[in-house]
Amino acid sequence: MNPPLALPNDDGLLITFPKGLLGFPQLTLFRLLEPHDGYPLKFLQSEENPEVSFTCINPAVVKPDYDVPLSAEEAQALGLESPEDALILTLVVVPEDPRQMTTNLAGPLVLNGKTRMGYQIVFGSEKFPLRYPILPQD
Amino acid sequence: MLVITRKLEQSIIIGGEVEVIVLGVTKDGVRLGIKAPRSVQVHRREVFEAIAAENRAATETRVPVQDAAALLRAAHPPKPKDR
Repeated sequence: MNPPLALPNDDGLLITFPKGLLGFPQLTLFRLLEPHDGYPLKFLQSEENPEVSFTCINPAVVKPDYDVPLSAEEAQALGLESPEDALILTLVVVPEDPRQMTTNLAGPLVLNGKTRMGYQIVFGSEKFPLRYPILPQD
Repeated sequence: MLVITRKLEQSIIIGGEVEVIVLGVTKDGVRLGIKAPRSVQVHRREVFEAIAAENRAATETRVPVQDAAALLRAAHPPKPKDR
């Protein structure tokens, strides 16, 4: 259920997060940037605070079997006609040693490409790891 | 903050659609039942705080993103369907 993000890669798509992201409730308008030399990383750049840019990724790149279990009710609440219309991104933490990079599978971002609205879904971390390593570990 | 006293099996209703019921009280804690529509996310506060902390960390990339991206491309060669 993770279709390719068919998004323009020049100026980036403007996406509204009506509730913001957790810890950043006041920032609601973001531009999704996909610089060519940054692939597969993408960046959610706040339009309201230039200092806030979330590093993220299409989790299908690093964990093809990751599936966000959206119920029909949740899909409807997000304005999705069906759960399959969702575009999923997960946030990436790049520490000083980038080989220890992780992505947060417990708090994925669900984007509705049609309405250009986004929401952060919260799963208990017992269900999905908060820090899933995305590079091979020695 | 609104403070309400409730006894066992009594409840409060929030926003007309969320009900919080006291199911049990012991010396170690209070057991609550929550009835809410599926669209309302209900989690322990710690879960939200952990995700908020990861969100903050995802804004604090300290190495050039091109370097991080190159490591990822090496480990996960691009496939057309991912683009």
